[in-house]
Amino acid sequence: MITLQSSDKDVFEIEQSILIQSGTIKNMVEDDFTFIPLPSVDTETLIKIIEYMKKHADKTDSKEKNIKEFDKDFMKKTLNELFALVFAANYLHISSLLELLYPSIADRIKDKITEAIRQIFSIRCDFTPEEERRIIMDNKWAHEGTEIEGTLD
Amino acid sequence: MGANASSIDTKSDDQLAFLSVKSNLDDVPEACIALVLSYLDPPEISKLARVSRVFRAAASADFIWQPKLPSNYKYIFRELLGLKVDGLGLKDLYAKLSRPRSFDAGTKEVWIDKNSGGVCLAISSKRMTITGIDDRRYWNHIPTNESRFQTVAYLQQIWWLEVDGDLEFKFPEGTYSLFFRLHLGKATKRHSRRACNYEHVHGWDLKPVQFQLTTPDGCRVTSRCYLDNIGTWMQHHVGDFVVKDGTVPTKIKFSLTQIDCTHTKGGLCVDSVLICPSSLAKELSYC
Repeated sequence: MITLQSSDKDVFEIEQSILIQSGTIKNMVEDDFTFIPLPSVDTETLIKIIEYMKKHADKTDSKEKNIKEFDKDFMKKTLNELFALVFAANYLHISSLLELLYPSIADRIKDKITEAIRQIFSIRCDFTPEEERRIIMDNKWAHEGTEIEGTLD
Repeated sequence: MGANASSIDTKSDDQLAFLSVKSNLDDVPEACIALVLSYLDPPEISKLARVSRVFRAAASADFIWQPKLPSNYKYIFRELLGLKVDGLGLKDLYAKLSRPRSFDAGTKEVWIDKNSGGVCLAISSKRMTITGIDDRRYWNHIPTNESRFQTVAYLQQIWWLEVDGDLEFKFPEGTYSLFFRLHLGKATKRHSRRACNYEHVHGWDLKPVQFQLTTPDGCRVTSRCYLDNIGTWMQHHVGDFVVKDGTVPTKIKFSLTQIDCTHTKGGLCVDSVLICPSSLAKELSYC
């Protein structure tokens, strides 16, 4: 059994066989660590990560459809939760989870306007007005004439 | 601008420390955002560059743009346009390619579709071999801003209509469609209003014109079509060709003919030939 400690100092005891889905944890286990502090992952996120790994630990054929359903539901979280998961999964090197998260998040942010994204994530715009104008100019190519014939017809 | 984001595949302790996550998105690792963005289309990626500095840097990561650029982008920049590629971020190269660029002494234009990165080409009538082009009784080059080349070949009247062209170009692998851009009637501008002169339009309803495309493997695709649609620019679909090897130049030939000498025909503007990936061709009007 391996003990994980979240950034909130909560501890979780999990079987090694489940945790080796995380490349990071696997490396530490191979170096004989049994207590692994994770200062970058909060309790809420760690619980979800453990839930994911438990479900994916048993990859026999009969469970495959089950796992797919689980994955679909697992993605039904707020954008903030998904981002917290992607950073944690990135740090922990859980590639199967990342491959689920990246396209899901991409899909959720693509139709949102700039201001909406900033609000959702409480990001302040750190550009000067001049810089922002410059970026809009630099990216103008992406929004010009959608037709092949351009301005002609 | 545009620091290359490190790929998550190379893992040293320093990089792991760099990737340590904090809860505030302001501290978000650039590489992580870049990986999310890599699943989006180019216009969406560039839109998100506006969100914050981290997003802007992530949006410029070369690894995102490498797979989106056409495989022949270096050929286009270096050999066709005579431009340098080294030292420029791939996002910038993609942006540059998305606007039409003229080459071959202004007789051709090349660009990529901004959503898919598909390579498109236009070839001016100036680059084609037109029977009787030097005889002003038959053909004239007339200036017009309705052509991306600012000029079209206008046919007043002729018995033997033959327009031939050929192309050698290193296309990325894929299937491409070729079109002739034609217009019945002579468009002019009167007091900023578009006017059309139809006095020479005749003979198109008697016999169809023939389009032909010779594909890279030597096959000939032929189609016939009655030209109608007076007063509108039409892209007439000539045929498709497949490029199997993107590392060598593809050679094709194309033609528009109507050589039935029992009647004359006239009033036709020949602007250009358009080549684009077949997947993009559906939105064009053609016969």
